[in-house]
Amino acid sequence: MIVAEQKSIAEIKAAIASYDKILILGCGTCVKTCFAGGEDEVAVLASSLRLAAKVDGGSVQIEECTVERQCENEFIQEAAPCVAQNQAILSLACGAGVQALARRFPKIPVVPGVNTTFIGVLESPGIFTEECSGCGNCRLAVFGGVCPVTRCAKKLLNGPCGGSQHGKCEVNPDTDCAWHLIIERLKAIGQLHNLRTYIPANNWQSSQSGGPRKLIREDHII
Amino acid sequence: MNQQQFKPKITCFYCINAFDGEPEASLSVDGSADIHFIKMACSSMTKDIFLLKAFESGADGVIVVTCPPQACRYVKGALRAQKRIDWVKNILDDVGLNGNRLFLDNMPFSGSEDQGQRLQDIVKKIKGIGPTPIGE
Repeated sequence: MIVAEQKSIAEIKAAIASYDKILILGCGTCVKTCFAGGEDEVAVLASSLRLAAKVDGGSVQIEECTVERQCENEFIQEAAPCVAQNQAILSLACGAGVQALARRFPKIPVVPGVNTTFIGVLESPGIFTEECSGCGNCRLAVFGGVCPVTRCAKKLLNGPCGGSQHGKCEVNPDTDCAWHLIIERLKAIGQLHNLRTYIPANNWQSSQSGGPRKLIREDHII
Repeated sequence: MNQQQFKPKITCFYCINAFDGEPEASLSVDGSADIHFIKMACSSMTKDIFLLKAFESGADGVIVVTCPPQACRYVKGALRAQKRIDWVKNILDDVGLNGNRLFLDNMPFSGSEDQGQRLQDIVKKIKGIGPTPIGE
């Protein structure tokens, strides 16, 4: 999932200060799971902003709405009646959702309410970890299902550096050494021989370094 | 309005197991506060939005009464409530409302007299903070 974190109340207050009527639009997929932008977070943020406005001696009219996914027009469409009644949208979706809204409603300002942080997993309740960089060239089969591009601080592709200690990374001792995990995993699945596979210097053209990417599925284009 | 005249409006969410019987009947709050009691199946079910809505409705203070953490019937309910209260206190500070208006009390199972006194002590603290700037 895409993991995001809600911006501070102070930053959001400043960003919406010029509006009297605002729609807080949540997204019921990734950001809901990481407690940043689902229906519950929309309600809490709306209440917080109303309280903040009253403490400051003002008032703000806030409408609340959450759609299943803000990155798809079909779902965004459901919010159109709410959007029409407000001066701006405070989106609690990831950056893709914010931009999809801006595209769908060209005359309505869209303000991001979260910082999109990474593609990750729910490691345990309340803890989300980054697992994928979207490099566009997945070699997890060779690495036993542990991604060194994302999880090795040095992005090493042919074994650990000299700083791995007791299974932890020298860059951050709270982080597991990705290469320690790779070797343990390859041992467990009987594929330790994968370590003999030489991985050449990475071609980052398929990653974001090659500019914004586009995926085209001709079979779905009518 | 001085502190003597100030009769705070308080919303008290309480775990169904925290009090001996109904709190309105067993606690003498001597009329110094207007307390609205809301019974919860577990203190952990007091979601953050409930706490904020209470403040939006003009509460001068909000109290969440839990069982003693080691005696929670749902094992970690009191702990969950504590974490949520800490979270919402930060929100209240961020919006300028003062997180100290929100209290959590791990009520001991020790008889209504002690329970009443604990509530009185919290009422005094809320009176000390003064009326909410929110109004109804």
